[in-house]
Amino acid sequence: MPQILSTKEANLFRQVIRDYEEKRYRAGLKAAEQILKRNPKHGDTMSMKALIMNAQGKTEEAFNLAKEALKVDFKSHICWHVYGILYRTNKNFEEAIKAYKFALKLEPESQQIQRDLAILQVQTRDYEGYVQSRFAMLKARPQLRQNWTALAIAYHLEGNLQEAERILTTYEKSVSAAPARTDFENSEALLYKNSIIAEQGETERALEHLEQECKKCLDRLAVMELRARYLAELGRKEEAATAYRALIDRNPDHPDYYKRLVEVLGLTAEDEAAQKAIFDEYSTKYPRSDAARRLPLDFLTGNEFRSAAKAYLALMFNKGVPSTFANLKHLYFDSYKKDTLPSLAEEYLQELKDSNTQASSDSSKGEGAALFFLAQHYNYYMSRDLSKALEYVEKAIELDPKSVDFQMTKARIFKHQGDIAKAAKAMDQARLLDTKDRYINTKAAKYQLRNNENEKALNTLGLFTRAETVGGPLGDLIDMQAMWFLTEDGEAWQRRGNVALALKRYHTVFNIFDIWQEDQFDFHSFSLRKGQIRAYMDMIRWEDKLREHPFYFRAALDAVNLYLSMYDKPEGANRANGTKGDNANGEDAAEKKKAAKKAKKEAQKAEREAAERAAKQNPNKAQKDKEEDVKKKDDDPNGVKLAETKDPLGDAMKFLEPLLQFSPKNIEGQIAGFEVYIRRKKYVLAAKCLKAAQALDQDYPKVQEQSATMRKMIGDVIESLPPKVQEVLKAELA
Amino acid sequence: MDIRLLRPSDIPLIQHANLENLPENYFLKYYLYHALSWPQLSFVAVDVSRPPKTPYDYPKIVGYVLAKMEEEPTDGVQHGHITSLSVMRTHRRLGIAEKLMRQSQQAMVETFNARYVSLHVRVSNQAAIHLYRNTLKFETEKTEPKYYADGEDAFCMKLDLDFIREQIKEAEGAEEDEDSSKKKSSKK
Amino acid sequence: TDDIETTTKPASAEDRKAAAALSNLDSSSAAENDTAQVDKAAATNALNSVSEKKAPVEAPAKSKVKVDAADVALLVDQLELTKARATELLKQHDGDAVKTIKAFLQPAF
Repeated sequence: MPQILSTKEANLFRQVIRDYEEKRYRAGLKAAEQILKRNPKHGDTMSMKALIMNAQGKTEEAFNLAKEALKVDFKSHICWHVYGILYRTNKNFEEAIKAYKFALKLEPESQQIQRDLAILQVQTRDYEGYVQSRFAMLKARPQLRQNWTALAIAYHLEGNLQEAERILTTYEKSVSAAPARTDFENSEALLYKNSIIAEQGETERALEHLEQECKKCLDRLAVMELRARYLAELGRKEEAATAYRALIDRNPDHPDYYKRLVEVLGLTAEDEAAQKAIFDEYSTKYPRSDAARRLPLDFLTGNEFRSAAKAYLALMFNKGVPSTFANLKHLYFDSYKKDTLPSLAEEYLQELKDSNTQASSDSSKGEGAALFFLAQHYNYYMSRDLSKALEYVEKAIELDPKSVDFQMTKARIFKHQGDIAKAAKAMDQARLLDTKDRYINTKAAKYQLRNNENEKALNTLGLFTRAETVGGPLGDLIDMQAMWFLTEDGEAWQRRGNVALALKRYHTVFNIFDIWQEDQFDFHSFSLRKGQIRAYMDMIRWEDKLREHPFYFRAALDAVNLYLSMYDKPEGANRANGTKGDNANGEDAAEKKKAAKKAKKEAQKAEREAAERAAKQNPNKAQKDKEEDVKKKDDDPNGVKLAETKDPLGDAMKFLEPLLQFSPKNIEGQIAGFEVYIRRKKYVLAAKCLKAAQALDQDYPKVQEQSATMRKMIGDVIESLPPKVQEVLKAELA
Repeated sequence: MDIRLLRPSDIPLIQHANLENLPENYFLKYYLYHALSWPQLSFVAVDVSRPPKTPYDYPKIVGYVLAKMEEEPTDGVQHGHITSLSVMRTHRRLGIAEKLMRQSQQAMVETFNARYVSLHVRVSNQAAIHLYRNTLKFETEKTEPKYYADGEDAFCMKLDLDFIREQIKEAEGAEEDEDSSKKKSSKK
Repeated sequence: TDDIETTTKPASAEDRKAAAALSNLDSSSAAENDTAQVDKAAATNALNSVSEKKAPVEAPAKSKVKVDAADVALLVDQLELTKARATELLKQHDGDAVKTIKAFLQPAF
């Protein structure tokens, strides 16, 4: 039986809740203790206490207490709700949903519990459940527009577009007064409905709806873009052309508008002159538009290309635009263009010489820019001649010894020559030319990492990271989610044989992706409040495939490959603690032992330094802050525990599964997958990776190697496999 | 180079560009907060000439403007604010920053009825100050001492957006004239 | 007071703004105040016209397919699927494990 509180204690209990909500944890705990002193079996108070402890990072104690609370008061919705919140904050969404549902059964009228449940359902993409929850919420508060929109979103996510539209329409009909023109929520809801109509493939109706209902919508750009698109799709070409022209007037630097305009005007690739005329019109109208001048270089051929490119290059060189080469290199797939562009740059230089014009006072313009272009041309993989590249860049540097851009390209040329150390040095020189610029600072640090100088790189980056962050530059880079650094740093540690720190960095990248996935959580309710539904839907769609990002792919592939090598050479796995493997020959083992010792020392040194830095930066940090920081403290800051794993293949799976799920078309992932599965004796899964890799690129060298491995392995073990698996593998790999 | 609206899927590479270029950095969630609160206001410059290496490549961001509306304006006047603006040093001199700013300003007026836009800039950042003051016609309101984490002062700058409002009114007027003349001519 | 324990003080004006914005995100209370945008009666009326949708019924033919527990176990072990997923896949292939594994092997793109 639940204990009943006196009036005074009931007030105190409300105070506990307020304290929790306003994060006054200490006061909250104190008040809870006060209640519990007289009512030691008051489940709700126990639960609230658990909730506060959880917020303080005492997860285990919190769970224990919450369980106790449930024991004494099994029928309290508060106890179940808190139990759910504990699970949720510890990311066990499945259990959290169960607890919420139980709480809701006990207290069906609770908006709070219903809302918490709904958010978890959409977070875990349980759309069916989400529809049900949103329906219940709409029933409870039908006068709130948000609730209608939310139900429409739920149907939309579930794939039921018609129902989504019907819900929005039903709401519209129930509103008597016309919304004000400045009613943002209304404006956005109309456009959201329009997007649902269009998504059903009913372009005609979408256009009609747009022109009748959305004309005054506040998102002008969206209305203009949708209208142009619908008109084009419906083949109303003249009107579509007018619409695209209006969009170009608005933003003459968006290539897609030109492309669409050319399409609706019915011009084909052969109509070079007619196409060119359109771009000329706009480059005259908008002299500062880069797109209008540059895009014709994509489709022009022969002499037309030559003269347009000549004019474009001259303009860019005269202005000293550093990205000129970067903006044109995609044309190199056409060998004529690849040959013409450098010769035009040479011509430009020759003409400068002939005309004997005074050199510009800004040496990054004119001659310098053309030399810079040529240096990049000969440094590019499709037109590489590194000695020529070096020649040009030296000339450019002679002209302007203080140019960061020129010096940076020189470093890049060294890198392509294979001299990483020299490249790192040169990039650091470029950095010294402009120590106020973080871009060049970043590049210098990156090159240091490529040269396996982890400590030096961190020092370089430390010139721009925030001084007061706990953990110094590394702490700041982790806090700020600097993926590039974590990956490059991990790869450098890996090359240096420091398995522990390498794994640590890859795991940190993995964890940041978890945070990014979690980041959408607050927006499930926030976006409804803001009324920005289309942007919210965009986010949902993107979060669904978050881990296809190359940031994830690269670090995860690194991790998988590292785990593979740990499995193959177990002594390598133990480098961090210096133990010896059993299958290496004597000399090799001694070598490895030495390396392991060294790596261990390095790790200890890094740890010491981190501690020192932290201590230095927070000399007068209050004691209580330290207490609070305990919960965030990493108990394996240098990855030593990660490196001690007994099951590297099992650990690799965590990284591998998202690779295969989200980037199945990346052959490197399939190849790594095969290697993991074949070692784990999961032959069907290995075969699946192999078949995928074969479908992607039959001639990829590693694929052929793996086919042979597979055939041999299967030949050896086939009799030991279940008959049905035998049957499939025999048929599929014959 | 392509100037277009920011999409949520751009954010990892916007964050990357920010980390490469500027000392003021933010969590991914802070970018999301902008993209989901005022999706009309933030723009990116994309390098479209890079051939993708895998089917999963995201367009490379070479510049961005991250903008917002002030949620509780102290002066009670609706106005926009530039949270962060950056262009890679490799992509300078194409007017990207200015183009990004103009797109954002237009939307601030159209969508959120902004009267002005404000921003902070490091007092030592000559190039940026030149862009704001000379090209975009911002005015310096005041200096905020020690605004940045490293102790540097900031100029607080402001641009009145009434000129955009005027342009919109003019354009609308022209459109209505056209409409009414069309109606007249069809009546004939 | 010593009550403010969890928030470490942001270091600059810039950080303070970011921190304020982010902590504002999950303040749920703002959402719930009853700004009666619509007449409750009208809305309730409208609500009655949209019927609660039942969960979509699964294709009846599929749910009748008999699935051998041994086959489920085989798929769980060999393909590392959850039990539910393995059952679902088997049903899609008429309970035929060989057919199911073959289909599973094909590239999904």
